[in-house]
Amino acid sequence: MEMEDTSAMPETAPETATRRRVGQRPVDTVTLEIIRGKLLALADEMGIVLARTAMSPVIYEVLDFACGFCDPEGQLVAQTNGITVFTGTFALHVDVLRRKYAGQIRPGDIYMSNNPYEGGTHLNDVAIIKPIFVNDEILGFAISIAHWTDVGGKMAGSLPADATEIYQEGIRFIGVRLYKEGERQDDMFETIAANVRLPKMSLGDLNAELASVRIADRRMQELCAKYGSTTVREAFRHIIETSEKLSRAAVAALPDGVYEATDWIDGDGISNERFPVKVQVRIEGDEMTFDFSESCPQLMGPVNCSAGGLCSAVKTVFKALVDPRAPSNEGYFKPMKVVAPAGTVFTAVPPAPVGWYYEGTGQASELAWKALAPLVPGRFSAGSANSLCVTVLAGHDPAAGETFVLVEPNMVGWGATDMRDGASVVSAITNGDTFNYSLELLEAKFPLRVVGYGLNVEGGVGAGRNRGGFGVVREYEMLAPNTLLSASFGRSIERPWGLDGGGPGSCNYFEVLSNGKRWRGARKPITTLQPGDRVKEVTGGGGGCGDPLTRPAPQVFEDVRDGYITARQARAQYGVVIRPGGTLNEAATRKLRRGLMERARVAAGL
Amino acid sequence: MWRLASDIGGTFTDLVYFNESTGDLGIAKSLTTPRELTQGVIDTIGLSQIDPGEVGFFVHGGTTVINVITERKGAKTALITTAGFRDVLEIARGNRPDLYNLRFEKEPPIVRRRYRFEVRERVDARGRELERLHLEDLDPIIAQCRSENIEAIAIQFLHSYAAPEHEAACAAVLRERLPQVAVTASHEITREWREYERANTAVLNAYVQPIVQQYFGRLQSALADIGIRCPFSAMQSNGGTASFEWAKEHPITLIESGPAAGVNGGVLVGRLCHEPNVIYLDIGGTTAKCSTIEEGQPKVTTEYKLEHDRNRFGYPVRVPVVDIVEIGAGGGSIAWFDAAGLLRVGPVSAGADPGPACYALGGEEPTVTDAKLITGVLNPDYFAAGRLRLDLERAGKAMRKVADRLAISVLEAAVAVIRLVDASMIEALKLVSIQRGHDPRDFALVVGGGGGPMHAGALGRELGVKSIIVPLYPGLFSAWGMLVTEPRRDFTQTSLCRAESIGISDIRDLFSRLREEAQVALRADRRPADNQLAFEYRIDLRYLGQEHSVTVPVNIERATVEGILRDFHDAHERVYTFRLPETPVEFVTFRLTAIEQVPRPRLGRISAQGRSAQAARKGRRIVEFAEEGSHEAVVLERELLPPDFTASGPLIIEEPSSTTLVHPGQQLRVDDLGFLHITEV
Repeated sequence: MEMEDTSAMPETAPETATRRRVGQRPVDTVTLEIIRGKLLALADEMGIVLARTAMSPVIYEVLDFACGFCDPEGQLVAQTNGITVFTGTFALHVDVLRRKYAGQIRPGDIYMSNNPYEGGTHLNDVAIIKPIFVNDEILGFAISIAHWTDVGGKMAGSLPADATEIYQEGIRFIGVRLYKEGERQDDMFETIAANVRLPKMSLGDLNAELASVRIADRRMQELCAKYGSTTVREAFRHIIETSEKLSRAAVAALPDGVYEATDWIDGDGISNERFPVKVQVRIEGDEMTFDFSESCPQLMGPVNCSAGGLCSAVKTVFKALVDPRAPSNEGYFKPMKVVAPAGTVFTAVPPAPVGWYYEGTGQASELAWKALAPLVPGRFSAGSANSLCVTVLAGHDPAAGETFVLVEPNMVGWGATDMRDGASVVSAITNGDTFNYSLELLEAKFPLRVVGYGLNVEGGVGAGRNRGGFGVVREYEMLAPNTLLSASFGRSIERPWGLDGGGPGSCNYFEVLSNGKRWRGARKPITTLQPGDRVKEVTGGGGGCGDPLTRPAPQVFEDVRDGYITARQARAQYGVVIRPGGTLNEAATRKLRRGLMERARVAAGL
Repeated sequence: MWRLASDIGGTFTDLVYFNESTGDLGIAKSLTTPRELTQGVIDTIGLSQIDPGEVGFFVHGGTTVINVITERKGAKTALITTAGFRDVLEIARGNRPDLYNLRFEKEPPIVRRRYRFEVRERVDARGRELERLHLEDLDPIIAQCRSENIEAIAIQFLHSYAAPEHEAACAAVLRERLPQVAVTASHEITREWREYERANTAVLNAYVQPIVQQYFGRLQSALADIGIRCPFSAMQSNGGTASFEWAKEHPITLIESGPAAGVNGGVLVGRLCHEPNVIYLDIGGTTAKCSTIEEGQPKVTTEYKLEHDRNRFGYPVRVPVVDIVEIGAGGGSIAWFDAAGLLRVGPVSAGADPGPACYALGGEEPTVTDAKLITGVLNPDYFAAGRLRLDLERAGKAMRKVADRLAISVLEAAVAVIRLVDASMIEALKLVSIQRGHDPRDFALVVGGGGGPMHAGALGRELGVKSIIVPLYPGLFSAWGMLVTEPRRDFTQTSLCRAESIGISDIRDLFSRLREEAQVALRADRRPADNQLAFEYRIDLRYLGQEHSVTVPVNIERATVEGILRDFHDAHERVYTFRLPETPVEFVTFRLTAIEQVPRPRLGRISAQGRSAQAARKGRRIVEFAEEGSHEAVVLERELLPPDFTASGPLIIEEPSSTTLVHPGQQLRVDDLGFLHITEV
């Protein structure tokens, strides 16, 4: 995969760096497959160690992290089931280190990086990278990236929704050394402790990340002791080559052509305007280019993402297209190219704020998805209420006598597919195997009370032969004085799109009840709340797929019985008539549906 | 006096019987009778020809509970929650483990939305009441349950792990007013926090309860009808037994009863062979399961998930379950090529029907069993005691699909299949050993299942275990394991406390309260004398700020707080590579395991009479070993091997239910119980 900055190198793209190596294989494929399995187990173990030793709830409960292993060139070989938008950045992180420390990377070094403009995502996502040496030669790099609860900046949690420059979002580490040839760099640890609001928690999380890359080193040494490092390297090549082959075949099977999608970013935290974004997907033979050049320039608020985030966002959708099930590695992305000039909302340059970068990457992923969905319906669903819908609640917990920061992504309704209804309440595309907070754990750890947690039945979903999945309503009451709220929800104006005649889904928003006044918002500057004040987070439902009038009437009736839709909605959206006594009126349904279909035909001028 | 262990599997119902006074051990096998499962049990007892009046102990296990859930044939179940939270069961945890699948399909909740009801009540995280329980809210719910013919109800209120009173009051009303309905309050099953996990556990308990109650009821009367009068025990997932009465109220604790019995067998084998540390491996037709036993104790966790894999979250069940890793690799696992043209083995299995190609029952796909036949490990004329003649030609024909695609010989293809399946088993074994901080060199590998003894030599060698043990009747290991189980209950109390503010007397007090609770509970079952109860004490600790903890065993008589902390720091470093000596330590959960010690069966020694090296020797066969190449192996009949027999590999030891393979460079020894021990020379 390449990222092409069209402003820097307009016309001629450089020759693709890696060509497939064809030639004698000294090692049999069965051994290589065995090593592949061991590498996946290694990546999983890194994740287990990180989750079980971390100190931030956002890591151990929400699992806001990813781990993996790259070859000496930085190509991803194996990764945990984690956050998709992190794993796509591994290669970029390694690349930065290789350039910065060319010829100086030594055994025992461990590096730290969180620079959004060079491989990172936002400042909270801190990458720990350990080069692994076998016989004094670099075998590869182990990486863990985890979301730290706080990295400084203007507000606890480091996610002010109204930031206008990166300096308000915290401290930036540009590939610094935490360990130099095995020696702990105490001054770095002191610098970290002095610049974050929750030093014990952040250093605890740092320890967990260090443990996870050390476990990787230990396992890699065992692997090389058994099979020899030459064979292990051969396995890396094998993994990448076989995946590339699969990926190219999948792209080649698609018709050449140009596919486009447009969408809107709803507000940026500073303005409530809608900002246009666009992708053009070009398929030529076994290669695919995603061109975001016509998207709006970078925004004043923090919903921008950097070029690294954009690449990673596109990788998620590309992987979904070529081979959704298999474990990911760099080979899959060789046929993929991303094009955009520097300085767009998806390729922000310093000092643009990027704290809420997942709003940008989420949009980028969804644009690519929207452009490809009609072409490959078997791989995609209709639009989802695609925003991480993150809420930050921070303040001082009088009972514990400590600062608290709750960073919480909300789950959304997903779009329907041609096979079934959309999934209700699952993590947005930017995330992945991430969890909601357990309410019981949350009430025990934070000065908050949960008033309710249920499906967003009121907001509804896109109707269709298969309907969208439901979003969620989560409501908190504040218990501590002066609790700060920072929240930024996307998809608050433009509804999730339907597919193949399905209806659009519903929007995300939050509602604040403070001082007897109720107001609704989506991206708001920081607000101070008092005990008794409430915050209600509402996420939308996904788009439908197929004409709602073709949804089997008994299925619509069951949805009414389960309270997913009302009898009125059944009639208005689906043409299904339910008697006042609560039984399905099949005759009236047939008649009503005939009439509605006829009317639709007339309206369409047929 | 006879001890009976009965295990219902998918195909066979097994009975293992043991005479406490003579040490005689026997087995009976009968076809499982799906329509009336109790029949198969009664059939095997008939086959054993033992006098029902002489039965002093009966323990039963099997897959009844897990099958009801897997087939979704449970009771019509409702759920009652705190007002505002009925959708928690459907929302679940919102994660998408299938990361790149944009058509992600979420597990549907066990209870439909229309049967999820709400009652006004609320307590906070410390168990303080915020809103009283509005019992009047139950009236319309009860009416609706009646009209909808609801058969089971689960109750789950927020923070009931801390304050169960509201749940208990609600359950009491329902039990009184809906006497025909099975009622489960979440705190009766688990006292751990996390509302979704607890709700799901309670719901699954309710879902299976009416069926299990009826099933155990029928079994009780069938056993009584043939004259068995002893107390009946059910095998639980925690590796212990419980009375039928208790099991009827807590049926979800039986969810992994079969595999837990196997692990328990591993415990006994370890004890008999003076090996307190055991890695247990069971290889069946479809799956392989493994688990570790440390210091004679199986590892029990409450992190179990049903229908869970890399791409699916599954359904969490928070009851103590022996920590088992199961993978889709067994004798019937089929070799195939994926989209990238790479050879894979499993998880799809040819099962028993049509079975591997060599069964000649219609299977045409190459399987692990076919590979074992082609490489010379299996004897075509002595499989399942010669009842099934294996067809080498069909096996070869099936394996040719693999060979042609890879442009190698059929024999090489068979070796490739064995290497791949061994590799996935090694990963599972490492998961339960190395990845949990154990050094395999301190462990003996105990193998069960029909296929276990065939793979053990290669797996044990790669893992580097100190020895491999093949017990008697490896093919009936689960039933065998049940024979030696003891009544067991686990009690936990979460009580957060910083290390500096806890004294050893606080710890002792806490445990003595749990001990009293245990004594009351076990007395209700069987009235054991106090000196028969053994207690084990463990504490979960963590560094302040962490959520997950590390469990440390405690010797309650001699423990000091400093000693416990030292053990914790060491354990943390062993598992996670680091310790934080400066960070405060938090005590989290206190765990008490109560085990009622019943007399252990003592196995008889095998006699040398009629057994000898010459008698056992059946001939020679060429075996293609995956790593060591082609060797001529001596073939021995296990049932004729004398005690203290030793020989060097390569060897094949055949018995009616299994085949053991000893690799070149390995040494075999037969002990006086008839167990096989394999070590590296």
